[in-house]
Amino acid sequence: MRVAEKVTTAPSPQPGTGPVAGRSREGSLRRRALDWVPRLLGIAAILVVLEVCSRTGVLPRESFPPVSEIYGSLLGLVGDPGLWVEIGRTMRGWAVGLLLAAVLAVPLGMLLGASRRAFQMSRLVIEFLRPVPSVALIPLAVLVFGVGQDMKVFLVAFACFWPILFQSIYGVQDVDPVARDTARSYGLPPLARFARIILPSAAPYIATGLRISSAIALILALTAELVVGAPGLGRAIVVSQVSGSITQMYALILATGLLGWLLNTVFIAVERRLLRWHPSHREVAL
Amino acid sequence: MLEVSHLRKVYGSEETGNVAVGDLSFVVGEKEFVCILGSSGCGKTTMLRCLSGLAPATSGQILVEGNPVDGPPEDLAYVFQDYSRSLLPWMTVERNVSFPLRYKGMSKQEAKSATADALDAVGLGDRTKAFPWQLSGGMQQRVAIARALAYRPRVLLMDEPFASVDAQTRSDLEDLLLGIWERYAVTILFVTHDIDEAVYLADRVLVLKAPATVTTVAEVDLPRPRDQITTKALPEFARLRSELLSALRH
Repeated sequence: MRVAEKVTTAPSPQPGTGPVAGRSREGSLRRRALDWVPRLLGIAAILVVLEVCSRTGVLPRESFPPVSEIYGSLLGLVGDPGLWVEIGRTMRGWAVGLLLAAVLAVPLGMLLGASRRAFQMSRLVIEFLRPVPSVALIPLAVLVFGVGQDMKVFLVAFACFWPILFQSIYGVQDVDPVARDTARSYGLPPLARFARIILPSAAPYIATGLRISSAIALILALTAELVVGAPGLGRAIVVSQVSGSITQMYALILATGLLGWLLNTVFIAVERRLLRWHPSHREVAL
Repeated sequence: MLEVSHLRKVYGSEETGNVAVGDLSFVVGEKEFVCILGSSGCGKTTMLRCLSGLAPATSGQILVEGNPVDGPPEDLAYVFQDYSRSLLPWMTVERNVSFPLRYKGMSKQEAKSATADALDAVGLGDRTKAFPWQLSGGMQQRVAIARALAYRPRVLLMDEPFASVDAQTRSDLEDLLLGIWERYAVTILFVTHDIDEAVYLADRVLVLKAPATVTTVAEVDLPRPRDQITTKALPEFARLRSELLSALRH
């Protein structure tokens, strides 16, 4: 039945945030704070090693500037509106592409999940299209859409379409039959069953699809900028590299990393709020 | 009331298929409490799916309050065995009880009072804002019963509703159900595999044998109101229990 491996609905469990029976909220907050100590220590250790390697010449300094300088450069860029313009361009490609993918993939996925026949009819086409790496479509995208924002949006949307589609299919296929029967036995008409039962059941799957796609969207937006030269953070990285501002190049790479981390954090936080009923987000256990 | 005549349900074709219900006929009178007793695999669940309109019968007729069943009837509510899957985890207790009512044509105000009444009747008037998964198993099944009651059915179908709770909770729920049955004046068809439970609750017990055919009917003339200790100590209770036990075995 299922055409691809299933992606877990839940975000990976974070230590200290799981169900802790009988503990107060403050207790779990303190545990969470304590969990951060080893993480921060790990990060600090890596930064110190890198700094020392660069300063002592273990790593060639012209290609590996000291971390402190990279952070200094990033801090300098934060005050520069130019960086925010580039982030805005990247994020626009990210947002429009992701939105387009979601608007197309969620309804289609729900249809394919609900109808066995539609699923079987489309299966081969999907199996054929899905493994095509988005980057392989870059020449085509440039040919059709040019080198600007439209090309970027197309690549992002194509890549994001698949995870959202499959999560939507699984979400609908995984609706509990007892819940379906319950709604039917109480005489809910089909549209009400969709809104009250199927959509909420599938929501955690779709949310996971969106979160995965958010990361993919950022990668594709940057790829379009790096490879083709569409305006955005990716192109700014290339420009820094070509013009020999290696420290700034690292600072921009760091900025993309922080951007990806921030997006993921926001998605997880929104999921936690909206899906607090789902077993992976419940805070109390009996 | 509920009338079943020559109900037959075959999965697959008539020649090669699996006969889940052979030839089933019985009547449950107005406000009567009937228990269906059968071991697992005797076709109880298929029978209930047909009665509740979830699955079409292959042949035969089912009448709920005189109306033939060709889809889920408005006068009937079904309490599932698996309460944790029948309750929707994204809705609060209150929403779980009230969400079907709009589709039955109740006004907002009617739905609200029906919900409050039903939750009070099962003793959960103070947990309306909780989510089902925050409650114990017995409480969850009480929410499911409240949902059925708020729907104001004339007939209540119950599929082994107390099979997965502990013995103490089970006897509490049995007494709760008897109280509700009197208060709401509903007709109840209760499926169970527990002889004691069937005798304790019912006016009449039907023994079902695969493929879902009535082999024995036992009238239960135990006085009401019943009591877990004194009723079960009556000689008549013991007689019915052994009669039904031998009926199940043969």
